[in-house]
Amino acid sequence: MAQMIANAVSQAGTNFLESLAVFLPRVFTTLAIIIVGWLIAMLMRTLVRVLAGWVRINVAAERFGVAPLLRTADLPPADALLGAIIFWLVWLGFLFSGIDVLGFTSLEGLLVSFWAFVPRLMLAVAILVVGFVVANFAWRATLLAAVNARVPSPRLLSGGVRWLILILTGAMALEQIAVARTVVLTAFAIAFGALSLAVAIAFGIGGGGIAKRILEHQFPEQRGSSADEISHL
Amino acid sequence: MAQDSVLSDELLHHLMAVGHVDVLVGVPTLNNAGTIRPVVKAVHQAFSRYFPRDRTVLINSDGGSEDGTPNLVRNASADDTETVTVSHSLRTIHRISTPYHGVPGKGNALRQIMTAADLTQARAVAVLNADVTGITAEGVASLIRPVRDQQYDYVAPVYRRHPLEGPLVTQLIRPLMRAAYGWRVREPVAPEFACSSRFITHCLEQDVWESELGRVGIDLWVTGEALAGGFRSCQTGISPHPATSSRTPFGELFEQVVSSAFTCLERHSAYWLFRNGADALPLAGPLPTSTVEAPATDGSRLTEAFARDVQNLRSVLESILSEETLASLLRVAETQGSHLRYSDELWVSTVYEFLLAYQRGVMRREHIVQALAPLYLGRTGSFLRQFSSALEKDVEEALESLCLHFERAKPDLIQRWNSAR
Repeated sequence: MAQMIANAVSQAGTNFLESLAVFLPRVFTTLAIIIVGWLIAMLMRTLVRVLAGWVRINVAAERFGVAPLLRTADLPPADALLGAIIFWLVWLGFLFSGIDVLGFTSLEGLLVSFWAFVPRLMLAVAILVVGFVVANFAWRATLLAAVNARVPSPRLLSGGVRWLILILTGAMALEQIAVARTVVLTAFAIAFGALSLAVAIAFGIGGGGIAKRILEHQFPEQRGSSADEISHL
Repeated sequence: MAQDSVLSDELLHHLMAVGHVDVLVGVPTLNNAGTIRPVVKAVHQAFSRYFPRDRTVLINSDGGSEDGTPNLVRNASADDTETVTVSHSLRTIHRISTPYHGVPGKGNALRQIMTAADLTQARAVAVLNADVTGITAEGVASLIRPVRDQQYDYVAPVYRRHPLEGPLVTQLIRPLMRAAYGWRVREPVAPEFACSSRFITHCLEQDVWESELGRVGIDLWVTGEALAGGFRSCQTGISPHPATSSRTPFGELFEQVVSSAFTCLERHSAYWLFRNGADALPLAGPLPTSTVEAPATDGSRLTEAFARDVQNLRSVLESILSEETLASLLRVAETQGSHLRYSDELWVSTVYEFLLAYQRGVMRREHIVQALAPLYLGRTGSFLRQFSSALEKDVEEALESLCLHFERAKPDLIQRWNSAR
């Protein structure tokens, strides 16, 4: 009996040591992958920031209106943000590779899933960036056109245009990364429909005077613009 | 030389029949049936009275008029001219009306006229505005003579008009161009000018013709190119500047003129960054002496929306103006409302900082210019209110003072321009 127990314990110990002998190198390999990955990710971040500085991405971000939005959202400048995105993508890639080496059955395929997710994530980020640029451009163009055409409430009008584009962009980005797809689509459809209806009702019923003034501005022959009163040249 | 693409076969045929000419007058047109006859008449009278021994040609470059303008030029009756002229030309006066190709715009018309002048080796070329009725034979001759007789390369007109007229010129373009180029040109955006064959050859070699500047800002570019290129330039008085029935709405006009001015300054920066002071441009002919009346408006309507516009545009202005200038602007807008006094110093800072923002491209360039329009209206309204009942002499002094403010602030502009590059 005692012998049996001793054999069992010995077997368990042997198995443990064998497992440890198999597992420990994997742990060290994982650690090595994670550390090397971190170093490579850091290097990539530095490289991307240098390249971004070289192509003056911060100036471009300022020009296209992305920089003010980043500041509002308390995010770092465009070059640092791009570097951080690259850092996390690379390091997470190495992290998942390292975890995969450990051979946990439940975590198998994590790396495959991660790399399958990355293109969608990148596309979502690209949609967001383009959306920010378009929204800002449309906001500024609407604001300037409305101010110069003496349209009432130019800030409200241009702000509405910007937020419509941003909401549309956000919905498209979330759709790409498949986060609560049904909820996002339903919420967007309801919000967009409600907003359009509200604008239509508000403009139709409550904004008759505004509509009249806007229409009067579209027909300057009926009402002279103050700027066109004099010959500027 | 891309003469083949600019001159049609028909035009080439006409020009070959004309041969070499001494004086060529070009008139770009686009639906000018209402005003073209007096212009053609003035040209013919000028040819007959003042250049009877010269080989002359009038070229009308038309952008596709649908109101019969080219026919009016072609069929202008000889009686129109000969019954009122004292002397007659000793040579045939050639008259050509031809369509130009490409996008309608003065740039293409001017290119065609200049190419024709280059081909016919015209000694003196004058370009006239078809949108006016006040041009006289004396005015046409005044433009041509400095080139023909005094070997000037470029002649800018000087109109006799009230100093409160044309505020886009007096408040913005004239002082800006004067301070930058270092020459006191009174009408830098004039559609009329005269030039030599040497200047024409130079202009045709430039790459401006296919650009937006060539399409909508060619008048300003021609002036800038003459000054920056070191061409012998002068000014001469022509008949009173007529009240044109400007068909371009203010917003579009402002954008075209200011964008062109900023683009010209960018193109010619190698010249003006090293130029100091502002020399007077010689006057080659007498100034018109007719009396002029002040504009009827006192500018109060222009300042009505100023405070609201500045507040609405604040987030855009933050990207363009320095903190100091923006703070001053907001203070003026908040405290003075429609009774504002937009000072010379603040206006100069505003214009220069918009120019720098345009150079750096802090946002889409057309947006920068559009954001300047309400500020310009505020400044113009403020100036008109201040001087609407002042004597002409006092207004002229105020305009001179504004020009000097622009000149004094130029070193700072140069420093910031260079640091932004």
